[in-house]
Amino acid sequence: MHGTPCGFRLEDVSVQFGSTPALTDISLTIGAGEAVGLVGPSGSGKSTLLRVMNGMVRPASGRVHVSGDELGSISRRALRRVRATIGFVHQELNLIPNLRVAQNVLAGRLGSQGLLPSMRGMLFPSKQVIANAYAVLERVGIPEKLFERTDTLSGGQQQRVAVARALFQRPAALLADEPVSSVDPARARDTVSLLTGISTEQGLTLCASLHNLDLAREFFPRLIGLRAGRIVFDAKASEIGEAEFHALYDLAAAEMMADGA
Amino acid sequence: MSARAAPSSTQVADLWRERPRSRFVRVSLGLVTLLLLGSWFVGDFSLSDTFSAQRSENLGRFLSEVRPWPLRERLADGTMRDKPWDWGVFATWSGERLSDGVSDRDTAGGLESARGTLAISVLAIVLASLASLVFCWFAARNVASPQPFAPTGVTPSARHRWAWRVVVGGTRLLLVLQRSLPEYVLAFLLLAMLQTAAWPAVLALAIHNSGILGRLNAEIIENVDARPLVALRALGASRTKIALVGIAPAMLPRFLTYFFYRWETCVREATVLGILGMASLGWLIDEAQVSGYKYDEMMFFIGLGVAIVLLGDLISAIARGIVRRAS
Amino acid sequence: MAPEATRRPFPLRARGTVLLALLVAGAWAAWELELSWGDLTPNEGGVRVTKSFFQRALTPALASEASHVPEGTPPLLVLSLQAAWTTLIYAAASMSLALLLGLFLGFFASTAWWAGDPVGGRTRLGRTVAPLVYGATRVLIGLMRSVHEVIWAVLFLAAFGLTPLAAVIAIAIPYGGTLAKIFSEMIDEAPRGAALALRASGSSGLQVFGFGLLPAALPDMLAYSFYRFECALRSSAVLGFFGYATLGREIQQSFSSTNYGEVWTHLYVLMAIVIVFDLWSGKLRARLTA
Repeated sequence: MHGTPCGFRLEDVSVQFGSTPALTDISLTIGAGEAVGLVGPSGSGKSTLLRVMNGMVRPASGRVHVSGDELGSISRRALRRVRATIGFVHQELNLIPNLRVAQNVLAGRLGSQGLLPSMRGMLFPSKQVIANAYAVLERVGIPEKLFERTDTLSGGQQQRVAVARALFQRPAALLADEPVSSVDPARARDTVSLLTGISTEQGLTLCASLHNLDLAREFFPRLIGLRAGRIVFDAKASEIGEAEFHALYDLAAAEMMADGA
Repeated sequence: MSARAAPSSTQVADLWRERPRSRFVRVSLGLVTLLLLGSWFVGDFSLSDTFSAQRSENLGRFLSEVRPWPLRERLADGTMRDKPWDWGVFATWSGERLSDGVSDRDTAGGLESARGTLAISVLAIVLASLASLVFCWFAARNVASPQPFAPTGVTPSARHRWAWRVVVGGTRLLLVLQRSLPEYVLAFLLLAMLQTAAWPAVLALAIHNSGILGRLNAEIIENVDARPLVALRALGASRTKIALVGIAPAMLPRFLTYFFYRWETCVREATVLGILGMASLGWLIDEAQVSGYKYDEMMFFIGLGVAIVLLGDLISAIARGIVRRAS
Repeated sequence: MAPEATRRPFPLRARGTVLLALLVAGAWAAWELELSWGDLTPNEGGVRVTKSFFQRALTPALASEASHVPEGTPPLLVLSLQAAWTTLIYAAASMSLALLLGLFLGFFASTAWWAGDPVGGRTRLGRTVAPLVYGATRVLIGLMRSVHEVIWAVLFLAAFGLTPLAAVIAIAIPYGGTLAKIFSEMIDEAPRGAALALRASGSSGLQVFGFGLLPAALPDMLAYSFYRFECALRSSAVLGFFGYATLGREIQQSFSSTNYGEVWTHLYVLMAIVIVFDLWSGKLRARLTA
């Protein structure tokens, strides 16, 4: 059902926003089918790193390889094809509030369709396509919301719609930017276990940034720690102790004090 | 996936049948679509009629006479011929239009009419906004209520509730009646009664726009954050005090935005009302046509009208920008 | 602008200045027009007209008041309803054209379709042609809007003569321009989140526009279109003054022959259809934009 899982390879990637560096000399490899948690204080560059990986942010220097394609050197059309294979769950969800859940889910597959087929598909979806959307919603646990208006759903349910949209894309990899920042702890656990469950079940590459260290350690076999745009550690979750985590945050706090912020 | 889809297809059908939907919105859209498409079958809007041979000839004459008359000449056989374009001649002709208006007619000059157009629109919008600032309080359901901003739990008597409902309903009816008649019709009726140059135009615009501004102002008042007002009420402030101290200052920026938006419309309408014989550009546009089809002069005054409207839009945009930054 | 700044009430001194400026502007205008309150009282002829006109306000005519009614003229109420129907049909036809124009031009007048991809910026087309198309469209919209529908009608009367299609186009041009302007602003101000998400999943620019931005702006666009329909009814009625078979013609004819009861009948019919639309669009707006 899903494409062959894809891997990511970043070589010396640096990103600048204006004059402030967001990422500096990031090199890392994420194998196909791997599940990786990104941790670090806010402003450490987690979101930027995820956006670099699906080609939504262009690095100032360095190369990004997604399964064989180097994002900087491929055509616009090829870049769109790569993006269509990567599901992205946004921190702000970015759903269309006044459409039905089904339409938001269907919108996930626009990237792999031409303009006219996508218009027909969005306005007059076939029974089969709706059944597929229903199945994806079943997987995230809210099939009965298929034809509800999206903005009538609770925050947690909307988050599941966002995940369903990414899954409906039939992605080879799933990137999630702070997927649990806006829900209560119990729901956060549910969502993270849903994402990692899908990843192992379907052999999907998963990379999610998380605030909650306990969740990250519990659900992700490999963790990457980011601070001020640099990788602090990149290791198996079991090998990372309290000392590393404390370093990640205490140092950041010390830096902020030094900046006078 | 298809294996799982098969048993769920009836569930999907059930969900589709039970989907939440607004019958009102659907019926409204259906009706309007029917009206929009149907109008072309019911009405006699035929292209062939508009572009018949006689009408094409009409159009040809019109287009040839749009060129300023000093820049064309009539030949011995009666046909028109263009003279070579000369900016100097054009400038002289334009200057005459600005100072004298329509040639060989006793009209106001173009510049004077343009100033008159602006003056009509300004006076109309000022009067309209003053009137609307009085009406709006009686049309706002939160202020015009028996216990404005009272903490919940206070139930006024039925007689009080009805009295205030009548006040709100009556004011809203007045406002909707005011805006239901087009400015042009109002000016036409007022012209026969007042028989002075500018008042009918000013009053027509003022009546129509105070209906619109009154409704918009009432909406502003209803949307003002109620929490501080409830606090004021709890301190014993009267209705009038709450209105003047709590609401009026907060509504000014939005009021000004609407004021300038409506003023833009007033400039457009003021141009047109001259057709009824008032001191605005519409008078010159109409006069140029009825006094012997001077299409060249008519186009000149239409162009002047465009300039006035664009000037109004520019002033309004700048003013709204200032309001946005100041608030 | 910082959110806390928007909460601050308008500066006290500025409030006084603003109100004073409005009054001064009004005074200038009155002086410029050489108006006095005295002119507001009608002269002798005006008093007579005013009196006999308002006397009929509560007793509108139910049958024709003309001394000589030509053979085959429909009864007054039928005549009035026919004119109302024509008013509605002209307004509907104008609005259908104006909506097409507004959607088409509104697309090109928005910045959303050519703002480009966050990565790699704009295509070559987006860098060169698109800003020109955008600018030209905005100028065109400005010109369409700056000429009032009545002036367009006068112009078309001169160019084509009295044809119904010319009236429809006369309304459709300025309305199309206004719809295009408002539509483009609504599209540009629609939340960009969904558009970003669609772009991130590989959608093309047009797909992002059609499924990411347009749906979010659509309720506001619909509500505004309904409001414009109401305005189109008024404009269509006014064009009756230039010979078209709408309510304006009936009002003018009855007024000129001093059949004031008939005038009130036509006025009430016009008010009724406009108010129905006013209430309808108000309710729809509340439903759509809640």
